[in-house]
Amino acid sequence: MTNDADGAGVSRRELLRMIGAAAGGAAAYQAMVSLGVAADSPYEGPIDLSGAPRGASVIVLGAGMAGMTAAFELRNAGYQVQVLEYNGRAGGRNWSLRGGDRYTELGGFTQECQFDKDLYINPGPWRIPYHHRGMMSYAKRFGVPLEAFVQVNYNAYLHSSRAFGGKPQRFRTIKADYQGHMSELLSKATHQSALDGAVTKEDQEKLLESLRAWGALDSDYRYVASTATSNRRGFEKQPGGGLSARPIPSEPIALPELLDSKLWQGIPNGDDYDMQTALFQPVGGMGRIGEAFGRELGPLIRYHAKVVDIHQDEKGVTVRYEDMAAAPGTVLTARAGWCVCTIPLSVLAQIPLNVGAPLANAIRAVPYASAIKVGLQFKRRFWEEDEHIYGGITYTDLPITNIGYPNTGYHSGGKGVLLGGYIWGLNAMEFTAMTPAERVQKALEYGAQIHPQYPAEFDNGIAVAWHRVPFTMGCMGMWSDAARAKHYDDLCRIDQRIVLAGEHASFLGGWQEGAVTSALDAIGRLHERIVAAGVPA
Amino acid sequence: MSGLPRRGLLACLVLLVGGAAANIGYADDASFTSKGGIGDMTGEQIYTHICQGCHMPGGQGAEGAGKYPKLAGDPALVSWEYAAITVLNGKDNMPAFGLPDDQLALLRTAHLSDAQIAEVVNYVRRSFGNHFKGSVTAAEVAKLPHP
Repeated sequence: MTNDADGAGVSRRELLRMIGAAAGGAAAYQAMVSLGVAADSPYEGPIDLSGAPRGASVIVLGAGMAGMTAAFELRNAGYQVQVLEYNGRAGGRNWSLRGGDRYTELGGFTQECQFDKDLYINPGPWRIPYHHRGMMSYAKRFGVPLEAFVQVNYNAYLHSSRAFGGKPQRFRTIKADYQGHMSELLSKATHQSALDGAVTKEDQEKLLESLRAWGALDSDYRYVASTATSNRRGFEKQPGGGLSARPIPSEPIALPELLDSKLWQGIPNGDDYDMQTALFQPVGGMGRIGEAFGRELGPLIRYHAKVVDIHQDEKGVTVRYEDMAAAPGTVLTARAGWCVCTIPLSVLAQIPLNVGAPLANAIRAVPYASAIKVGLQFKRRFWEEDEHIYGGITYTDLPITNIGYPNTGYHSGGKGVLLGGYIWGLNAMEFTAMTPAERVQKALEYGAQIHPQYPAEFDNGIAVAWHRVPFTMGCMGMWSDAARAKHYDDLCRIDQRIVLAGEHASFLGGWQEGAVTSALDAIGRLHERIVAAGVPA
Repeated sequence: MSGLPRRGLLACLVLLVGGAAANIGYADDASFTSKGGIGDMTGEQIYTHICQGCHMPGGQGAEGAGKYPKLAGDPALVSWEYAAITVLNGKDNMPAFGLPDDQLALLRTAHLSDAQIAEVVNYVRRSFGNHFKGSVTAAEVAKLPHP
């Protein structure tokens, strides 16, 4: 037994080694968590579903992330699995629109995506935080290469149509100036003994030292134009080499103007746990993960299958569906012992289903959010060539809310595709109420206030409004606190032979990781019940 | 996950009158509104800016994996109470439009006043070939249970 350097007994490393040897990797990992070495996560590695009864069968409804996670793991565990999917492709909301794709929304508007080869937008999810370990794990297992998703780009913009004459500001300058001014103010308060009750005399010295470092303050604790502050916010004239290279520091924005602009609201955009570096995107579009899952499952997925009703009895579950491609109007039947249903609640609420009142009520308790994405192809990558923005996101108070720059293909010649709008709430509803062509036109008009190159460089565009998406009829389930308290557990519980899964059955609403971890949780419980029942159906 | 708040149409107009620099385009754009601006909208404008996203132009509804109800000829609209309660509280995947302001951000929806709900209910009951009798006032909507 090794002693710690400080003599506290068994060292942490040694303790972990012993736990690992005695109880296996999972126990060691949990011990690491409790010792504060690793962060906890709902994903606990590949699921163990050993002991599936021979011949036991499961029907999975929906080939999105939740459904395909369930189908993949259940099949690997020896279950007989079949999947019914409404679309003609795998992935669900895991979806990339590429040149040549054709998309028809509810109401009948059809758009042809005219992007150049290798250019795309992700109408749904577009980023995978590094700690979404379920998604990360499947991407790795299926060999889907990832690349960095830039959440925070210091050279992208924060923009308010009501501040700075509508001129977009670099994220870098707003952050540096806000941080600098706050540091200066707090230094003044400290010097004026305003913090005497809150901070000891000794700590006040440390606080001042930290404020000077954090805010780039001068020796008098002022935030002023200097090399130090310009190193944060950018120079009036950037330093370079040779005779012409002497830098000129830039002048900070005055505090009142900065506060009035409200651009400080954009500073924490990369601070939430979900948005912290590193984030990833699959090379070639988010849809690559859904496509990989689809290849893995192959003929197990029946496409173009529109579920008509779901009926369970003592021995199994019968699902009636229409084959929308081959024989619309003709009802076909599929049957299995058990059912994992990942149909979005927006659709499931309309499908006859014999479950108990608690689950039935839960299914009808979740409204779906309105959200919009607009993809715009331009003749050249002017955001890189003219403005030196390589990936990342500009935030604006205009109805388009976001402009997302491609986090891939930097410096490539030819055309480029921007995410020209990503919108929630009332403005999303208003965008949804337009024709697709009008949405593209509006995204162009507003984006031109930030990038004046838009009108000259625009090539073509495509717009997806999630309330008009035929397979989800809404972007994601929106739980109120009251509805979650009343219905969430009922939504997740197994009802005889049926269990639900999807982002709607998670605390990670709208995230693919919510779908994946929800599916793993659901099939883990279902597997226990099937094993306990013992008799294959 | 979105970034900055949308500015209000009224606030924008105040700015323009006050001579502050602003982009005319947003203020004059009838395509978008905000909480500050909805008050001036007629029932028809509320329908064409918000409701028709799902219920479609002309109240025709739509069908994909599920359906959006067709409001043209919908016999349920004989009850204005039914229509108003549905707008206030939502139904299944339809968002509620009567939520208090402090819940709008969490649920990512919008707020319509009782007067606006009365307006849009009256519009829907008298449009798309519908000829339901009677109309509803803001005071009557106010008496219904709100979320």
